Parts: sequence; C-alpha cells; structure tokens
Amino acid sequence: MTLPVIHLALFPEDQIDSAAEAISRLHKLGVEDKDISVISGIPYSDKILGRPMSWSRVPVIAISGAIVGCLIAILLYYGTPLLYPITVGGMPLLTNPTSFVVIFELTMLGLLISTFIGVFVEAITPSFGPKGYSSEITDGKIGLLFSSPSDLEERVHTLLSDLGAEVVHRSEEKLWI
Amino acid sequence: MAAETRVLNHAAAEKSEEDHREHLMLDPRPRETLNRWVMEAMLTTTPRYWIMVIVLGLLVAVLLFGAWGNQIAVGMGVTSKTRPVFWVTYITTFVFWIGISHAGTFVSAILRVFKAEFRRPFTRAAELMTTFGLAAGALFPLIHLGRVWIFYWLVPYPNARWLWPNLRSPVLWDFLAINTYLLSSTIYLYLPLIPDLAMARDRTTGIRHFIYKILALGWRGTEAEWHRIRTAINIFAFAIIPVMFSVHTIVSWDFAVSMVVGWHSTIFGPYFIIGAILSGVSAVVMILAVLRATMKHMDYFIRKEHFDALGKLVLIFSLAWAYFFYNDFLLSWYGGDEALKRVITFHAEGPMAWMWYLMLVCNILIPAVTLWNKKIRTSPWLMFIITTLINVGMYFERFLIIPVNLSHQRSPFDWGEFNLTPTDIMIPLGTLCLFLFLYLVMSRLIPLVPVWEVQEGQMAHTLRKVGKAEVTSVSELE
Repeated sequence: MTLPVIHLALFPEDQIDSAAEAISRLHKLGVEDKDISVISGIPYSDKILGRPMSWSRVPVIAISGAIVGCLIAILLYYGTPLLYPITVGGMPLLTNPTSFVVIFELTMLGLLISTFIGVFVEAITPSFGPKGYSSEITDGKIGLLFSSPSDLEERVHTLLSDLGAEVVHRSEEKLWI
Repeated sequence: MAAETRVLNHAAAEKSEEDHREHLMLDPRPRETLNRWVMEAMLTTTPRYWIMVIVLGLLVAVLLFGAWGNQIAVGMGVTSKTRPVFWVTYITTFVFWIGISHAGTFVSAILRVFKAEFRRPFTRAAELMTTFGLAAGALFPLIHLGRVWIFYWLVPYPNARWLWPNLRSPVLWDFLAINTYLLSSTIYLYLPLIPDLAMARDRTTGIRHFIYKILALGWRGTEAEWHRIRTAINIFAFAIIPVMFSVHTIVSWDFAVSMVVGWHSTIFGPYFIIGAILSGVSAVVMILAVLRATMKHMDYFIRKEHFDALGKLVLIFSLAWAYFFYNDFLLSWYGGDEALKRVITFHAEGPMAWMWYLMLVCNILIPAVTLWNKKIRTSPWLMFIITTLINVGMYFERFLIIPVNLSHQRSPFDWGEFNLTPTDIMIPLGTLCLFLFLYLVMSRLIPLVPVWEVQEGQMAHTLRKVGKAEVTSVSELE
C-alpha cells in the first residue's frame, strides 16, 4: 500500500473557479473529501467550492451555556434571599418582575461565554485532516491542502499546474511553509 | 464630430470609472497590498504619537489615579456631593461612557445583521471604542463607592457575613449588565480579530510574533475554522443586541425606579437607549475622522461614503432622540404635577438654563440643519465638529437629568446647589484621557481594519450593466 503524501497547491486570489475545478478533478482521481481541505484568507461558503457542509459544536455548547446561566440566575435570585432574609423597601422577598432582569443577564452571559469557550475548545482540539499551511495564504492565495497516494503524484501535479496552481509543495508529514 | 464624440465618451467613461473607485468595495486591491497597508498603519509610529501617549499616560496618572487616590485617602468630602445632590459628575460620566459604548455593538452587530456593507472597514475601530468606553464607565461605580476596598460585597458568593447582594436593586442589575456587556464586547472584538492576528503573526518577528501566535489560536484559515468563527460571530451578533438594549435600559432604571421628580418616567428606557446610540455613533464618526487623518493608509479604508452613511444615521437618531425628549417633556408639562412642572421650568429658566438650550441646539438643531446636506456629511472634519457638539450636548443632557434634577426636588426647603470641586472635574477628565490612552496604545498593537471582511466585501461587489447604467451588484457569498 502506497503511503499518502500531503500536497499544498496555491491558487492566486482571483482564481477561485480554478480551485473549485481542481477539487472536482481530485475527486475524479479518487481523492476523498475528508482528505481535502481548503485554506483561505477569506471565508468561502461550501457551495462555492463544492465541498461538504461543515459543522461545528459551537451552537450546542452555546445553548448549553445559556441553560446553565439561566439555572444559576434562578438559584441566585430565588435561593439567596432565603438564606438570610432581609426585607428591603417594603418589597416581598421574592419578586417575579425583577427576576427577569437577573435571569436575562446571566442567561446571555452564559450563552456568550460558552460560545467563546466552544470556539476555543474546538480550536485547540486535534483535527484529523491533512496538516499544512503557507503564510502566502494570508496574503490572498487560496490553498488546496490534500493527501493522496504517492503513485498519483505526477498526475496530481499536472492537473494542478494546468489549472494555474502556482506552487505545489509536498511532504510525507505535516506541511508547514 | 466623431473625434468630439470620442473625447466626450472617454471623459464620461473616465468619470464613471472614477466614481466607482471612490467606493471602497468597488476599489479592490490585492490582499497582499491590503495586509501591508494595515500592518504599516499599525507598526508606524511618529514622535507625535509617542508624545501623545506619554502626555495622556501622565494625565491618567495625575487626573484619574491621583485624584482618586486623594479621594480614597481624604474621603468623599473632596467631591461636591452633599444633600440633596448626591449624584454629580461621576454618575453623569458613567452614563455617558456606557452610552458611548453602544456604538460598537450598533455598528458591528446591528449593521452586520442587516448586512449593511459600509460597516466593513470600521467595525473593529467601533468595537474597540465599546470595550474602552465600558472600561472607563465601569470604573465609576467603584469610584463612586467611596470605600472601594469593599467592592467585593457586590459579588454574589457565600461569605462569613451571611450576606448576599440585593438582587432586587438596579445597582446590582448594573453590576451584572455591565460585566456581561464588557465581557461580551471584549470577546466580540476578539473573535473577528483572530484571522487578522494570524496575518500579523505571519508578518512579524520577535515578541510581537510570539504574542500574535498565541492569540491567533493556531489559525490557518481552513473551512472548519472559518465555519466555526462565522457561527460564533453570528451568535454574538444576534445575542449582543438584546444585551446592548438591556444594559442602557438597566442604567436608566437606576433613575426611573426611584421617586425622584423628573426621573420616575416609563420612557427612560428607550430614551436612554436612543441617546446612547446617538452619542455612540457620533463618537465613531469622531474617531474615524481622527484615524483617517493620522494613521497611514487609513484614507484608503475610511472614505467619504462612510461619513455619508454614518451622517445619515446620526441625523435619524438625532430626530429619534428629539421625539423621545419631547415625549418626556410634554407629558411632564401636561401632567399637572407641580413638582415636575417646577423642575422643567427650572431647566429652562434656572441658572443652568444655558446648558438646557445648548443641549437642544447641539442635539437637535445642528444635526437637523446640517446633516441633510451631502456635502457636509462627506466632509470628515465638518462631521467631526458636528458630532463633537452632539456629544457635548449628550453630556449636558445627562448632567441636567442627574445633578440639576436632584437639586430641585419636591420640598423647597430641600433645594440645594452643587459647586463642582476639582476632584469632580479631574476624575471624569481622567477617564477621557484613559480612553484615549488605551485607544492610542491598542491602535498600534492590533490591526485596526478587519482586512478579511473588507476583502470579502470587495469580492461580493461587482458592477453590472442595467440598461444604459452601470450599477453595483452585491452577491451573497455566505
């Protein structure tokens, strides 16, 4: 069995069509979607590149955080006055109209902080796709990072060069330029 | 004849091409060029910049921390707080800063939700204003405490005193709301900054490279990363808007829940919010005018079209503010409550009447007379002057609501004066210097323009022919 090799092809920033076409041709060569990653300096939607839909756990983590925030708010608002009851301003100890403020604020705090935690956790969680990067990508190049069997190398290089990929790097491990 | 026609057509085509290039979204440059310009703007400092940083730093040390330290050592008697005016410039300036902080969220979140493309180059400048405005404003509850060393009594945690904060108090709601807004705004500033931090990481060395590398969280720009960050930004954009509305509503409830004459009004919530957005958007215009004039290459990113768009918004909010002001004023005047009528008469005829009229001139008359004119709206320095006057007017509005109202309550025997002390003036000025200092320093630490958003917008904008005209077409790339 031939070992996979990681390739990084860089397309100029105004050639998104070529990059999308390159992905289609790689599919025809047998390179699967899970072995391909597009790296770019601006976000391109999945539809533009003909890629499968990405998904993220961030919304689920955000909702969970909101629920936790809401529960903490309810505990604080309805629980703490009972621990050491002090009647203030002739108001009842537990008042529903004012509870909405505290519950709203802590629910939103939970939602927003957990959204950030979700982004942070997913950022530091190891991923299993091909690893590679070039600093030219932040300068506008569209990077096509994929791993393919080494016996396809020549065909892949020809394909990418024909479509205008400027540089094609290769590595057996992580490709970091 | 044919030659004349050719010359006219060429001139028309040139004019058309020039007109389009006036718009940032129709004047794309290579990404490498945009990155270089933003990095040059960030890394370039002049002797004038350093002089300003040093002067502002010294002013913060003396005006803010020096005066505050003196207040802690000597006591609250160094301020003008005395019966019946217990809230003077501290609370006024607190409300002012919280109001200023609404601009970032408005520009960054609301305009993002409504897909207003003109927001792209200055969302970060506005978000930075929010963060530092909140930081300046959040100092005032601490300053106003007097005994600042017991501020932790506000934090709800089990303690040996068996005491919990009173969660039915608007002051506690303030504590929760402002902290929520501050944390959320800081994170909302950080999330869209990550791709630009990665760009800065790739273009710097040494300590800067190290710090950007950590903050960029290993960003490469993969599809998964973009999807994750866009999802998070969209969640923030939608969620931070109600937080923004709640914060200033809760600040208004500091006044409205009380029975103080002139404060106990149901319209205070929306009235304060509109005032906050007016002063906030005006402050954005002020900052953009300064950035454009002082930072390298900013004239490419911040153009007259942006001042034009923001000018229209300022006009709309000024008219909305006038509507809410008149609502509050008319019902106070019409209602027949003697104490309330005396207060509004005191505003218009008392010793601070000049402030009341100046407020109306700055907040209503000047915007209404000037901002309908496109030539004025597209002049950065005229817009700077107009929006500065609006912010002066908005500060006066809060001053009139707070200490002036308190000095003239129900019982004539209890009417009093306030005589501002140096501490009353130094500390608020100190927070202004702190805001400017933090902004100046941060403008050289992070890329001030979200390059990826600008380029995304430029990609989405094209010109197409409809009939005989070339019109701008905006694609939905997301």
